[in-house]
Amino acid sequence: MQNVIVYVQHKNGATPKVTFEMATLARKLADQLGGKAHALVVGAGSSQLADTLKTYPLDVVHVNDDAHVDGFLLDPVIDYLDAAARAIGSSLVLVANTLGGKDVAGRLVARLGAGVVADATDFKIEGGKVEAVMPKMGGAAITTAAFKAGDYGVATIRPNAFAAQAGGAGATVQPIEKPAGKSYAVVVEKDVEEGTGELALEEAPVVVAGGRGLGGPDPFENMLKPLAAELGGAVGASRAAADAGWVPYSLQIGQTGKTVSPSLYIAVGISGAIQHKVGMRSSGTIVSINKDAAAPIAEFSDLTVVGDAFAIVPELTKLVAASKA
Amino acid sequence: MKIVVTVKLVPDPNAEKRIDPATKRLVRTGVETVLNPYDEYALEAALQLKERIGGDTTVTVFSMAPESLKETLRKALAMGADDAVLLSDAGLEGSDVWGTSYAMAHALKKVGFDLLLVGGLSDDGSTGATPGAIAEYLQMPLVTNARKAEIKDGALHIERETDTGYQLVKAPLPSVMTTALTFGEPRYASLKGIMGAKKKTIAAMSLGDLGLELPVGSAGAKTELLAFAPPAARGKGIVVEAADGATGAKAIFDFLKEKKLV
Repeated sequence: MQNVIVYVQHKNGATPKVTFEMATLARKLADQLGGKAHALVVGAGSSQLADTLKTYPLDVVHVNDDAHVDGFLLDPVIDYLDAAARAIGSSLVLVANTLGGKDVAGRLVARLGAGVVADATDFKIEGGKVEAVMPKMGGAAITTAAFKAGDYGVATIRPNAFAAQAGGAGATVQPIEKPAGKSYAVVVEKDVEEGTGELALEEAPVVVAGGRGLGGPDPFENMLKPLAAELGGAVGASRAAADAGWVPYSLQIGQTGKTVSPSLYIAVGISGAIQHKVGMRSSGTIVSINKDAAAPIAEFSDLTVVGDAFAIVPELTKLVAASKA
Repeated sequence: MKIVVTVKLVPDPNAEKRIDPATKRLVRTGVETVLNPYDEYALEAALQLKERIGGDTTVTVFSMAPESLKETLRKALAMGADDAVLLSDAGLEGSDVWGTSYAMAHALKKVGFDLLLVGGLSDDGSTGATPGAIAEYLQMPLVTNARKAEIKDGALHIERETDTGYQLVKAPLPSVMTTALTFGEPRYASLKGIMGAKKKTIAAMSLGDLGLELPVGSAGAKTELLAFAPPAARGKGIVVEAADGATGAKAIFDFLKEKKLV
């Protein structure tokens, strides 16, 4: 593997932050491998996004505003990536470890006959071989895997694990030709955006999560949301809170929900069962507020405050707000 | 209509996991093997579709696992699957995601289906790439994260979760589908189901049945595992008793300030 290709997941030019983290990572890996750093951005709004992407340290940004990409599920993207990878030659393809990214990675693995490393949080290049570090089983184990000989490899990248840094000489933006002679069967009949304007849980630098101890849906809205907003973060929940219907499942963190690793995780009224722990244990700093001093969450919190969350959280929100004034 | 559901057999995710420092492998002793929880959701979706479509619709469970874990599949049969196929072979040991998908795709082609449901994630590996790779090897459409599915006029109509919201998607049959957890909570096996499962067939398949062109197992793997270790221990931190809101809030604020998080 010599070159690096970043697959840019986006919708009408709006892309998650992990794209820029990957663009920055691609430069570093390409330099160590002695190759070039490429990005592929296709679908409506791509040209506009390429203008931002070229300020990151990439060599070439391949672009096509092809609307087919948005009208059909997944397959057009795979054809573009396949074509780009074959044209560029031996390369490691970086894909965000998101719902959409995982689908792309899977099909691409079979299309290119490549190995895959998933949810990578660090890389090492040893003797020209790419090694990836990946937390597994919800962080219960840290694995390191290397690609064996082979022209292509696919890696899905954990959001928030790598720094994004614009800079460099400025990438060349280059049109990529639409793959010829393809027809697609899976039609996207409707595409609805929800919760726009809110920070994606996996990408948030701060997560304020609530559990059974909150007793209902209102404290999520009235108490956790204001604190999260002051800290520039997002609200999450334990399975108990999602199961009770207090918050949508999209906010659930844990074994059967999302895995997050923000710099700061504040757990409010969450006991910290293994189900929840595996979804957040890799957070930078963990603070928990719980009325029960014996709750398991204290065992892996950097700070545990034993007390009444309903009294503490609003006061904390005020302190954070005042510190910014 | 024939629906096939793939299930993976994993160590009980509710058990605290331990790694043996000598062998660098997961300690399985004393930890029960169960159906991957995500795959139970896929099975639930298959059973719901079977009930809705009716007629001669059947649900077959497929798993790639050591022969010794065969009886774990009875749980799926007890939930309501009609039969099962187990692909076992010593030659599959050490297969990576690529090899697993390649072997499974060829086996699933032999099993045959109109709709294939694959659990979206595996609890022990969390790769999420397997469904896509299987679909690509089968040259079939892939529709992931379905929270609702319906078969109408011979096509699959799906409402699926995306990173930014949801989509309505139409796909032809046969197709490969994964389900979101919102599709429905997996049902419990009834006593009748548990009794009935004992009589259901678990057919055996091995590598010899597949006629693969490329090597699988450790020999064919495209990636190799170099290290498998527990994470750096996360010790218990400071504990503060807060008599009132202001005291608690100040303790947290000072701590965050010291860590430069505010």
